[in-house]
Amino acid sequence: MSEDRKIRVLIAKPGLDGHERGARIIAYGLRDAGFEVIYTGLRQTPAEIARAAVQEDVDLVGLSILSGAHLSLTRKVLDRLSEMNASDIPVIVGGVVPPEDAETLASMGVAGVFTAGTPVSAVADFIRAQIAKKTD
Amino acid sequence: MSDIEKIRKERKRWEDEELAPRLKKFNLEKPVTSFSTPADLPEHDFLGKVGFPGEYPFTAGNASVEFWKANGRIAALFGFRPDWGGTRGVGKYGGFGTAEDYRDYLIRMHSMGRTGGPNMAFDLATQCGYDSDSEEAAGEVGRVGVAIDSFRDFAVIYEPYTGKIDIDKQPSNFTINAPCVVILAMYYVLAKKRGIDPKLLHGTPQNDILKEFIARGTYIYPPRQSLRLFKDSLVFMRANMPKFNVNSIGGYHIREAGATRIQDLAFSFANAAAYLSAGVDAGLDINDFAPMFTYNAFGGSMEIYQEIAFHRASRRMYARLLKETFGAVNPKAMIIRQPVSAHIGCSSTTLQRPLNNWIRAVVGGVAAGMTGAIPAAFPPWDEPLGLGHSQEATQMQFDATRILMYETGLTDVQDPWAGSYFMESLTDRIEAEALAEMARIDGMGGAVAAIESGYMQRAVAKSAYEKQKRVEAQEDLVVGVNCFNGPLEQDVRINTAVEPTYDPARMATAEERQVAKLKALKRGRDNKAVASLLNTLKDHAKDEGKNLMPDICDCVENDCTLQEICDVMREVFGVYSPVKL
Repeated sequence: MSEDRKIRVLIAKPGLDGHERGARIIAYGLRDAGFEVIYTGLRQTPAEIARAAVQEDVDLVGLSILSGAHLSLTRKVLDRLSEMNASDIPVIVGGVVPPEDAETLASMGVAGVFTAGTPVSAVADFIRAQIAKKTD
Repeated sequence: MSDIEKIRKERKRWEDEELAPRLKKFNLEKPVTSFSTPADLPEHDFLGKVGFPGEYPFTAGNASVEFWKANGRIAALFGFRPDWGGTRGVGKYGGFGTAEDYRDYLIRMHSMGRTGGPNMAFDLATQCGYDSDSEEAAGEVGRVGVAIDSFRDFAVIYEPYTGKIDIDKQPSNFTINAPCVVILAMYYVLAKKRGIDPKLLHGTPQNDILKEFIARGTYIYPPRQSLRLFKDSLVFMRANMPKFNVNSIGGYHIREAGATRIQDLAFSFANAAAYLSAGVDAGLDINDFAPMFTYNAFGGSMEIYQEIAFHRASRRMYARLLKETFGAVNPKAMIIRQPVSAHIGCSSTTLQRPLNNWIRAVVGGVAAGMTGAIPAAFPPWDEPLGLGHSQEATQMQFDATRILMYETGLTDVQDPWAGSYFMESLTDRIEAEALAEMARIDGMGGAVAAIESGYMQRAVAKSAYEKQKRVEAQEDLVVGVNCFNGPLEQDVRINTAVEPTYDPARMATAEERQVAKLKALKRGRDNKAVASLLNTLKDHAKDEGKNLMPDICDCVENDCTLQEICDVMREVFGVYSPVKL
């Protein structure tokens, strides 16, 4: 990755969940933190999200899920990414995720889970560290 | 010199002699507190701006004696629990899995004497107009509510509602917006099939589609076409189900999505004005239908004075809107009917040290009591854990409310803040700012136009982000989140041991069972009749002068599925594509 290329992040809302506040805040916040952010909007299928991630050549995918369907939806997004040979794109998840589910997500290969009260700056730092780790 | 001039002069003196030296001493640029005098309220017209409780402009309250106050003592002696429902009341908001799962849950509740009417949560597929076998529904079936694909599902839920709790006696609440017409048709058909006069049905559908574009997001069709469906439901209900409330307008969702207090008021009332205009345009009498509008609580916050002023302003604004803009003369048309008033809003709760949310909710309860409402300490403290409210947290919520109601005298006084220089001027200011924002929306062409252009959505998103920035910059302090979060603080927990409300095993298999049922339905029904009814619906949908409710009732009765009905309208109306933020 060249020095001057901004980190590109896809923020996505899989499933039918319409709670958009968190996704919008993260999108705005990461943009202000110097990232290039693509926000999918509501009701994206896992296939659409994986396709957008590959087409837009993003460095990371952030999923926002508040409907309780985080395990099955995240699993599907990871599967679709893997089918497109894009498993190297790290995925993070934000939303209402109980601690035991956060562990399950981690074991699926999710790079980070962020719940209510997390500052956007902490998410931005996490993403920078992830990308640095990848390019090392 | 008039009294007001004297006070202004004295204030100037006080600021110079007393305030300024203190500010200097503490090295402050501006005061950290405010103090109000009669000069802040120079021409206060008590009768015009406040008036008496139960009378225009309703600033001091909707009624001189509220139902719950009149019956408060009896409720205490009988141990009434709002989550159980009762005669002519609904039970706790809920729903999960298939109709059979939810029915069995209701039967269990009834066996414990909790015989309130169903207060239905629908799963996201149903809310967005998809059947359980669609690609969009995968993973969502029965999750945040019950899955309804057809009238047969709907009827299953009502199997235990017979005899003393039949649907002419117990009300139902439906938290549904975009496909509201389909659910209403199901209820109407259910009554017909049971030989019950639909004129006896009562209950409340959410039916507030415009706010779905601003917050919550379960829209299907574009705003204009959505409003047409609202109009059809309104006209149908007034003619055929006159005791049924028309809607439950939610400022709550808009504020939870990030709107400021002013945006919450202005956007909610702009939406309300669009619904009211739809009724007037359809030739209905505002005095007849406006009293059937209800509100699902405006949003809330921890800022207690602001919230009290907000509710005083909202009552006055609504009364004026109805009287001055819509020409209503029936006082019942001018009041905001809502189950709760001031509260903290779920977004004020924190995941960090969650038991503290109990205290936060009590603050909201105090504010509610001071606005003339039940001092509801909402929500239960475990709200942000996202697991559904535990029985323990619900118990603590009710007890906090009861303590405020019965031990403190909080609700003994009506509008205790009336006449306060501070509160009256704050109320005036909130009203003026909200009216200015409403005028702006009017200038854009009203709520529908302001949604189509994305104005409201962008405004709310921006406000949410501004709030977040204030929290991250430690301008707004939240205990346990951005202050007092060091290693020496204790994370206090309590055990929650009572069984969960829903059976997780059933939840896990709901999708499979629901899809199997749907397959069997599609095989067994008269598919020729289905195709022909859907065709008629499609033809009529193209004609805006046609009310679609009778066609939708026919479709529902003949086993057309929810998605089939919604798809026909998708073809004619198109689907909403969100604006870029």
